[in-house]
Amino acid sequence: MTLIETVTVGSGGASSIEFTGIAGDATDLVLSLSLRNSVDSPSATLAFNTGGSYTRKRLLGNGSTASSDSATVDLQSNTSVSTASTFSNSSVYVSNYASAVAKSYSVDSVNENNATLANQAIIAGSWTGTAAITSLELTPTSGNFVEDSTASLYSIS
Amino acid sequence: MATPTYDLLESVTLATAASSVTFSSIDQSYGDLILVAEGELNPSANADFGLIFNSSTSGYSMVDMMGNGSATESQSEGNTYADCGTYLYANTGARQIVTVNIMDYAATDKHKSFLARNSSSGTSGRVWAVAGRWANTAAITTVKVEPSSGSLANGMTFNLYGVAK
Repeated sequence: MTLIETVTVGSGGASSIEFTGIAGDATDLVLSLSLRNSVDSPSATLAFNTGGSYTRKRLLGNGSTASSDSATVDLQSNTSVSTASTFSNSSVYVSNYASAVAKSYSVDSVNENNATLANQAIIAGSWTGTAAITSLELTPTSGNFVEDSTASLYSIS
Repeated sequence: MATPTYDLLESVTLATAASSVTFSSIDQSYGDLILVAEGELNPSANADFGLIFNSSTSGYSMVDMMGNGSATESQSEGNTYADCGTYLYANTGARQIVTVNIMDYAATDKHKSFLARNSSSGTSGRVWAVAGRWANTAAITTVKVEPSSGSLANGMTFNLYGVAK
């Protein structure tokens, strides 16, 4: 497992986090995330390269109920109303990212707010793109990622 | 925190469909094993994505949870293999990724625990999380991937990693 790059959001926040120029010399990618949103919006999406379409199946638990849906987002994020200094945690696993077929990915993601709000999601995702993944972008559903949000991209060979 | 070291122990890509894939004589010097399987689903029938350790067909118990986009499910089970969620359901063209972490696999003084994540989106997609135990203290030296029925699809990849202690 080799660290490709870590992005730490600076003062003023960021409307997205992007990794570009990802080399195709490994087998899998792992993304490790610590996120907080500037507004009360608890989710973010993931995009590979450009184009293609995404499908997802999500299993979500919130401490009292479980539900499942075909989500339109990939990640949980702490928000502007979460306890100060708390961030969500997520891990994304992308298998065979350099292959010439559609890509599968798996997400584990959790946000939490001092035990008054907690969501844990596991997601099965796929992207129809058949090109090798060379870039990856994270975007909050609305608002910005706040300062000290981090994203680390690893490769596994 | 130091970055975990994953060493690829063996990689298998199926040139044709196969009933199973076996990793044998597994190096005993690592702390954990991680199996990553990925490929297109074979839409013949529902089956379980099963693992068999050391050719043993007893002592596997699991607790799982599943979501299919509308319904949720959680259950416990005992089986003759490590049930890592569904494989081979009717979902033409969809792909699946299964990751299985097998902790302290080389220990000889404890039962073996494993965590599996099984993900497939698409029309009939499902997402699974499985926690399991193999009630055996033997070090794991072979891992056989075998669906409970049908075969593993052409083109599937299976990578077995050792995670350094």
